[in-house]
Amino acid sequence: MQAMLLSLVLAGPAATPPDVQALLRRLDDLYRSKSSIARIEILATNPRATRSLRLKAWTRGEEQVLVVIEAPPREVGTATLRVGENLWNYLPRIARTIRVPPSMMLGSWMGTDFTNDDLVKESSLRKDFTTRVDRRSESPPGWWLALEVKPEVVGRWARIEILVSDGDLPVEERHFDRKGRLARTMRFDEVKLLGGRRVPSHIVLTPADTEGQKTEMRYLEVQFDVPISDDTFSLSRLEQNR
Amino acid sequence: MVGTSTLRIAWRNLWRNGRRTALAVSAIGLSVTLVLAYDGILRAYGDWILATLTGPMLGHVQAHAPVWRQDRAVDRTLGHASRTVETLRRDPEVASASARVYAPALAALAEEGFAVLVVGVDEAAEARPLRLLAGVSKPLGDRRVLMGRPLAELMGVREGDQIALVGQGADGSLANDLFTVAALLETPVDLVNRQGVIMDLAEAQTLFALSDEAHEVVIHARDPARVKALAARLAALPELAGAEVLDWQALAPEMLSMVELLRVAGIFVLVLVFLAAAAGVANTMLMSTFERTHELGMLLALGVKPARIARIILAESIALGLSGALLGAALGIGLVALTHQTGIDYAALTGGGPSAISFGGLRWSLVLHPTLAAADVVRAVAAVVVTAILAALWPALRAARLQPARALRE
Repeated sequence: MQAMLLSLVLAGPAATPPDVQALLRRLDDLYRSKSSIARIEILATNPRATRSLRLKAWTRGEEQVLVVIEAPPREVGTATLRVGENLWNYLPRIARTIRVPPSMMLGSWMGTDFTNDDLVKESSLRKDFTTRVDRRSESPPGWWLALEVKPEVVGRWARIEILVSDGDLPVEERHFDRKGRLARTMRFDEVKLLGGRRVPSHIVLTPADTEGQKTEMRYLEVQFDVPISDDTFSLSRLEQNR
Repeated sequence: MVGTSTLRIAWRNLWRNGRRTALAVSAIGLSVTLVLAYDGILRAYGDWILATLTGPMLGHVQAHAPVWRQDRAVDRTLGHASRTVETLRRDPEVASASARVYAPALAALAEEGFAVLVVGVDEAAEARPLRLLAGVSKPLGDRRVLMGRPLAELMGVREGDQIALVGQGADGSLANDLFTVAALLETPVDLVNRQGVIMDLAEAQTLFALSDEAHEVVIHARDPARVKALAARLAALPELAGAEVLDWQALAPEMLSMVELLRVAGIFVLVLVFLAAAAGVANTMLMSTFERTHELGMLLALGVKPARIARIILAESIALGLSGALLGAALGIGLVALTHQTGIDYAALTGGGPSAISFGGLRWSLVLHPTLAAADVVRAVAAVVVTAILAALWPALRAARLQPARALRE
């Protein structure tokens, strides 16, 4: 009896379900803040080939993203700009800017397992999904959040499960498609101090249906809340001197 | 078994009631003519389905890298494509072989991007009659491409415009380049019209970071009836080791059932002609033996063996059936030959409707060209002869069993 009480007391603080909305806001904000500039390395692996990219990414608010490829040499200067729901690719080799049509949103982004849609939709978790605390995770200690898509939303995912550690950092995300099948898993690890925050610096995206395929993303450096000028996220800037 | 005198007698007997025999012969002839005309149209349907289906896109046999048909990954290719195609073209049973590259891409005239499918082709092979680029005279290469007309209209592209193409190379890199639209294209294949950008094979390979590779090798057989054996044999070629080699029946099973249906329809009609011929022959032969009861009794009384009587009646029946069948065959062949060249224009028959229909992603012209195989003619004639024999059995037996004394009294 005493042992039981003791264990209840010990488990007590950790077993209090977290404030879901606050947690989601925190997750949304984790890599972005009000604004950010990051250098990122991407490693895309499939059973037949491996490919690496180095990027520089600027974000401001929830709606503005600019990604410019810095390596390999063949693709230097290739850029993707997102403003709101729109996505453009700039191709220096042919000096053209092309808007990605809705029909290509689920296509691969720059040959990785990320889709164009991932760049556009990353901020809409709170808007498009209803969230609740699903269950307790013991190892690592944390909470599984279950996000169910709202009935009126047309999107790729019906359900997303996020494992958040007791340190309020994401550990794993599982994406389920409209038929309820697990479509892909994201794992977050290598927690580091980046731009004054402790965040997982390494993210691995594994599609569920393709054996031996994954995309790894590693934050090399991040600066948060630095001023970024308005014209960074403009088409004309996209086409200049990249 | 049947002597020439029996045949002579049978033939003479047949024309003793000339009008009735002529009527029976023409009835049988008419039904055979109809069957052959119907066979001709069925065969035209079959050929038409096969040609529309396999001609432009599918081919009779295709080779791919395994799994490519499922995920269409740009880097799942067949290696040393040109050597493979050369080897295939030397095969005596292969009418044509060519390599293709397929890659999804983003095409843009100005800023707006559109999802397209780049198809890299060997223009010389694909420009033959009934193939994908039949009738196209604009040369590819030199960064000139062809674009499906509906796609071009959607994008606002006109001949001579320059478009940007962006996709993903086989090595994961970004494929992008500018091309000139040499001509707008209308092929029998909806997918190509709505999404296709046709490019020279070598240029497509360069654009998508492929070496001498292809996603698909399309083979047309000299004899489409033997594709199964051809596919099995080609799969064993060292050049296609490890490749997935499939015939069109495996690639488009839903179309196969349409062709099978036509075969069943053909057999159904053959049964009808059996019945029509049987009725005609049986009626004529019964009538003529009843009429001749007295005469047959006389012959029996004179010592003619019953078996000979039966043979004569059988010979009469066969001669009747055969005359009708041959007449019908001649008319049927003539009718099919007459319509074969010009074809039967269904659009005109239905009063100026559309000249083609879309079905299963393909454009089907509504002109059919009836054809006959020797087998169709032989089958129809044989069916009539067999029917004639069966229909004569009872009259022949009856005649052979006549009691001479009683028969003479009639």
